[in-house]
Amino acid sequence: MSFIKHWYKTFYQRVFHLDDRLLLIIAGSLAGICSGLAAVALRLSLETMLEFLHPLRHYWWAFVLPAIGAVLSSFYLEKIAREGAGHGVPEVIYSVSRYGGLLRFRSSYSRLVSSFLTISSGGSAGPEAPVVMSGSSIGSNIAKVIGLNDRQRITLVGCGTAGAIASIFNAPIAGLVFAVEVILGEWKFVSIIPIAIAAVAGAQVSQAIIPEQVLFYHHPFQVGFYDVIACLALAVFAALISVFFTKVLRQSGQLAKKSSFPLWGRAIVGGCSVGLIAMFMPVVLGEGYHFIQSMISGTFSMGILFTFMAVFAKIIATALTLGWGGSGGIFAPCLLIGSLTGIVFHKVLLLFFPEIGVATEGAYALFGMTALISGVMQAPLTGIFLIVEITGGYETILPLIVVSSISSTMSHYIEPASFYFKELIERGQFLRPGTDAKILSDLNISELIETEYTCVSENMVFREFIGIIKTSNQNFYPVTEDHTDNYKGVIHIRAIQKYALDPGIHDMIFLNQIMQSNIQTASLENDLHEVLDMMDINNMDTLPVVENDRFLGMISKTRILDLYRRELIMQTSVH
Amino acid sequence: MNYKLLHIFRNTPFGRETFLQSLYFCKTINAFPVVYIPQSDKFLMYFSNDAVQVDLDNSYLNAPESAKEHADDLFEKAGIKPMYYTPKNFTASTLPDISTQFDYLCCPRSVSDISSKIGLGHLGPKVRRIIKHATFPVLITSPVFKPWKSISVFFGGSKNALNALKLGLKIAMASGFKLDIYTLLENKSEKQYRELAKKEGLENAISQLSNKWHFYKKPEFETMLYDVPHNSLIVLGAYGHGVIKDILLGSKMEQIQSTIFNNLLVSGPYCSIELS
Repeated sequence: MSFIKHWYKTFYQRVFHLDDRLLLIIAGSLAGICSGLAAVALRLSLETMLEFLHPLRHYWWAFVLPAIGAVLSSFYLEKIAREGAGHGVPEVIYSVSRYGGLLRFRSSYSRLVSSFLTISSGGSAGPEAPVVMSGSSIGSNIAKVIGLNDRQRITLVGCGTAGAIASIFNAPIAGLVFAVEVILGEWKFVSIIPIAIAAVAGAQVSQAIIPEQVLFYHHPFQVGFYDVIACLALAVFAALISVFFTKVLRQSGQLAKKSSFPLWGRAIVGGCSVGLIAMFMPVVLGEGYHFIQSMISGTFSMGILFTFMAVFAKIIATALTLGWGGSGGIFAPCLLIGSLTGIVFHKVLLLFFPEIGVATEGAYALFGMTALISGVMQAPLTGIFLIVEITGGYETILPLIVVSSISSTMSHYIEPASFYFKELIERGQFLRPGTDAKILSDLNISELIETEYTCVSENMVFREFIGIIKTSNQNFYPVTEDHTDNYKGVIHIRAIQKYALDPGIHDMIFLNQIMQSNIQTASLENDLHEVLDMMDINNMDTLPVVENDRFLGMISKTRILDLYRRELIMQTSVH
Repeated sequence: MNYKLLHIFRNTPFGRETFLQSLYFCKTINAFPVVYIPQSDKFLMYFSNDAVQVDLDNSYLNAPESAKEHADDLFEKAGIKPMYYTPKNFTASTLPDISTQFDYLCCPRSVSDISSKIGLGHLGPKVRRIIKHATFPVLITSPVFKPWKSISVFFGGSKNALNALKLGLKIAMASGFKLDIYTLLENKSEKQYRELAKKEGLENAISQLSNKWHFYKKPEFETMLYDVPHNSLIVLGAYGHGVIKDILLGSKMEQIQSTIFNNLLVSGPYCSIELS
């Protein structure tokens, strides 16, 4: 055993501590491979189960299948895995923002199982958010095992995310971009290389196991000038659909929480509703890749009205699945809703301008997908690279950039927070590196307190107090009770001038007569932004910090500024 | 001093015993108990290198309408001002983050209410994980409230044991109770153990606060355990840094926790104890 220990120590110190980047590349590759395997496992098991259940969908009672999946999924998540509810991605962002990317080990498999149950039974959701959750958790736990620090752990969370996305879509660039744009929120040289390597590792795992190289095949599109112009209008239309989708998703979840149904009751209501919608609109079932493929290939046969209805049916089905007990992500629904939106737009365009020379329906399905992804996630680069990679359609890059940019800008204008960030922003927990909120949250009150203050007794005579002032340079003097040492108030040196200038009363007044006992105090449990708010409201630069009636020290704006600046430099440095 | 102990309140007779122990501990060392009454059956504690999810059994959510009333009542009887902890951050809507900025945490031997799991010899996996990652000592209480009147430190010479010795001295200082040190002579002599303490600058504190330093030969481990007063708070270190020691609490700690009914105060590998 001592040999293994010795070998481990030597290897760790000589190799890993040699270069931070080498360590991150090796660990990141491992995270990419593991998360890639997790993603492939989910994709293959979903394909198998969907195929197995396909014959059953023709029976009249098939509408209960999504309900069964949702019940099993919610039961598994709540009672077996005991995960808190949530889609996963906001939890990863929260952990990266607040706790240096610490994620529970159980998250590396729990969402995979629950989303498998939901999606394979026909629930309207995608497998991408669960694999992101899983990959991130794998990265975080690898970092834990090899004892990495917060910054390195966050990079490995990004590696896990990139590996997972790269693997499930066979799209390494999209994996890299999604990890940096959505999860980490900062482009840093030191983290981009390991994440890129992890994305490649994830994609390679996928390619090694699944022979198909491109998720959606298509013939090359002929994209012209009119398409770029038309994309402006499509982007606006898709942005409106994105905002509507985001709002319906959130409100559905809130409605479910307010309802009096138990957990399984909600899953039954949501699942059966999805099943009933699917009886008339099968397009809403599962992740819908098959329908996306038919739209891109130009073999989708629905008319304008039905396609338009299908957009809303899919939105409602996804909201019912995810809000009412199912588990999964919104990537795949976004792709389907986007392609339906693109098809509707194309049909309407040709209806009004039958002679216009624009690309085929399939190309507009791609534009719609990009616009929806960019609008809902407000992550334009992810939208562009994902669609380019999953379709191999590099000839569409110009209109894709246009729809993506305009859709994300429009969505941001109407609804400033994306679906992933909205909840965190509302909870005041959206903390991106280098932002004011993040720096304040990273500073601990206990490190800001200045403790070297001489306390004075409330029963001290003023003359004695003057003797103390002479030998000290404090501006504030905390006053405490004699026997208990409990904090009673504070004396500001400026507030006692009138007493100091009248020697006649020096022996007649006690400190408890002149102290300020109504000054607001901070405690260790206050967040720094709360302390700053207190200072602003009370127009003070310094506040006493009191805990359990004991004076701990003073906290001042000057000290906060010093440490704020130090933290800001650290968080925004190039490395 | 302004030490705070976090207590996860369980509104059951067993929970009451644990809480009485917390109150007694705090009163004895002049610390402040902070009570968290769980609103959901799980919570997360983010330590520096791990996120530990504590899944509570249903007994922790028992009779929520009377939980605060019962806690207040026990606070009042102990003459301590009630303090409650309300989580500010949530990882998910039903998953609150509990602060790890406390000086002590009180835990039963298991967070399960099943009687077979609260007896001797069983230390729940979640309690073990908390000990392993906590930056504060964990008070593991006896199943029934049992006031302690002295402090016994098990000192085996390791880094964690030195931490435990410091912790014992700190508790002795705060409580005024006498401290006994118990050492099983394994690879070192009596003199070497004393030298270890001296190197850490603990010589004066030991001479002032300790009653006696007991040394036992290797086969006398059981005798040593028998000699520990039944009403003594046992202070000891847990976990080493080796590969196997990361899995188990340490062979001696396992043996002690499965043999003795006393209250245990355990310092894990991430605890840093300062004598001030």
